[in-house]
Amino acid sequence: MRFVPLFLFLLLPVFPLFSKENKLPHCKFKFDHFKSLNRIPEPSDIVYDKDSKHFFIVSDHGKLFECDLAGNIIRKADEEGMDFEGVEVTDSFVYVSDETPRKVYKYRKNDLSLVKVFSVSWGGAANKAFESIVYNEAKKCFVLVSEAPVSIVEYTDDFKEINRYPIHIARNMNGARWYKGDLYLLSSLDETIFKCDPETYSVKEYYKINVLNPEGMAFDADGNVSVTSDNLQRLYFFKNLPTINK
Amino acid sequence: MKKLLLLLLGATMVHSSYAQFSEFVNNSAASAFTLSSDNNTLQIGGRVSAFYEYRALKSGVTNLDHNGWTPKDGDLDLLGKTSSKFVYEFHISILDLATAAATQNTNNPANPGIKAGYLQYVGCPVTIKLGYDKVPFSQGNLNEVWGTPMWSHANLYGGDLFARRDFGLTLNYATWKSRINLYGGAYSGMGENFFEYGNDASGTFEYIGRAEFCYPGKMKYQPIDEDNSPTPQIRIAVDARYMDKKQPAGQSILANDPDAPGAYGIRIFDGKRTVYGSDFMFKYMGISALFETDIIRMQPTSPTDPLYDGTPASFNGGYIMAGGFVTGLNYNFEKIRSVFSVQYESFNTNDLIAGQQQWVYLGYAYKVSGFNSVFKAEYYIPTEEDKIQNPLKYTGQLRVGYQVVF
Repeated sequence: MRFVPLFLFLLLPVFPLFSKENKLPHCKFKFDHFKSLNRIPEPSDIVYDKDSKHFFIVSDHGKLFECDLAGNIIRKADEEGMDFEGVEVTDSFVYVSDETPRKVYKYRKNDLSLVKVFSVSWGGAANKAFESIVYNEAKKCFVLVSEAPVSIVEYTDDFKEINRYPIHIARNMNGARWYKGDLYLLSSLDETIFKCDPETYSVKEYYKINVLNPEGMAFDADGNVSVTSDNLQRLYFFKNLPTINK
Repeated sequence: MKKLLLLLLGATMVHSSYAQFSEFVNNSAASAFTLSSDNNTLQIGGRVSAFYEYRALKSGVTNLDHNGWTPKDGDLDLLGKTSSKFVYEFHISILDLATAAATQNTNNPANPGIKAGYLQYVGCPVTIKLGYDKVPFSQGNLNEVWGTPMWSHANLYGGDLFARRDFGLTLNYATWKSRINLYGGAYSGMGENFFEYGNDASGTFEYIGRAEFCYPGKMKYQPIDEDNSPTPQIRIAVDARYMDKKQPAGQSILANDPDAPGAYGIRIFDGKRTVYGSDFMFKYMGISALFETDIIRMQPTSPTDPLYDGTPASFNGGYIMAGGFVTGLNYNFEKIRSVFSVQYESFNTNDLIAGQQQWVYLGYAYKVSGFNSVFKAEYYIPTEEDKIQNPLKYTGQLRVGYQVVF
């Protein structure tokens, strides 16, 4: 009698038989080296500015930093927010997504002074809102990506919502970046970079990276990838994305 | 009082995360929702779960009341954060509130229905929390059991030997990229029975401290490696708690606060109690391993206290020991959305009374949508029974159910 429930218990793991496997083209992508970001607590997103050839990095502590390509701080914006999670740079401005209060901060790039604060709408869990912001050059709109459940939300230049696209390719999404005609998304839980069609947001291929808790990514002028790790407070340096043999 | 002032002074000297013990701070459920104003963000979430329980009963046991449905969670959580850097949370179990009301709090006095109710300030390097929440003691206590295949905590830190929650002041400071995490606090000592009785007659606090070291970076109180960590992660911690609840003349905990001492009479009693603990967690590639030991030293004031079990001071030395250890291994097989767990614990609740309890736990979870929508099955076996302190009517127990977080 004692072993009846045990026998029943051991029969239970039959559910996995129904799991599906992702068959998209993919490969592993390993980092080259990393640097500790000792003075940037909980770094959450990073973007490369082609004009200054610098990075902008934001922190969960509501801070915006401009750094050199080695991750050293050059300057910091005076105006702080609550929970900065996404950063994008366009021409003369830096845009930052403040996740918890659902706001987007617009800074002047030349002096990091605050220009305007926009309110955006996400009704889901407080700490699972817009972790990424990117300008979609194909559709000429801003894109904010919610962490979980993952949704891509398109906005006009003054942050009026245009459209929403629920995405089911990963358990969460923490970074987004534009590079050479494609939109790249980064999932922290799945430690994966997805290369997506900028019109439909369908995935073309993906790259499994070996970084714990990656939250933001940037492409420099040569196409080298940099990834921030929140938990480890590190900046990981990769080479160019590898070509996937399909 | 002097110790409390020192704790408060510490706040001015010394950074850490908000709502650190909240079961909903990292709520990723698609159905959670958040209200925002210019100065406040309020998340509304909760959890509902139930299981079917089957016990393999010993011969001669005729009462089958444990072979049937059991509602586990009916929780509602309000977690707010203001622009002035205050955090507040109210986490209630509607199920426990209803049960307490229907039974005049006799069914399970250690589950009063309130799981958290506090105000926290996160605007200075030390976070300061005042209110009712988990106390910073024992990794097993702080770990989110809802985020595992198990339906309940191990007995060692499940609340019968020492309180898991209490009302009081908690300070928290994290440094070195949050690799070092320090907690200190002063609490009522009444634990989950605080709402039933308030403070006890001694007018003293229970003091609790915990020091954690994580490498290579900070770790959450989540025992399953859902990240499938590409880098090995560890956390080592030591903690301790102390209270001196010597009752004033004419006062008695057993008379004033009869539910507070708990099933084994050691959660609080007339006398001194020190608990030392240490714990370890390792995560890598979906595997997580845990170990924890907690040792309790008790010095009841009266030599005739029942905890001495009638033994003379020459035999018992004026103190009683209790405690034990828990060790566990989990594997998160994300490709098939499954988590497999095994856990073993061994402990005793009074070294003056012969008997030891040993339990083996087996767990399996199939994650439809992470642990937000999950099928869980747990089987546990008492491999050694303490026939005096905790006589059992069964030889094995299966729990199979479903959990939804919103």
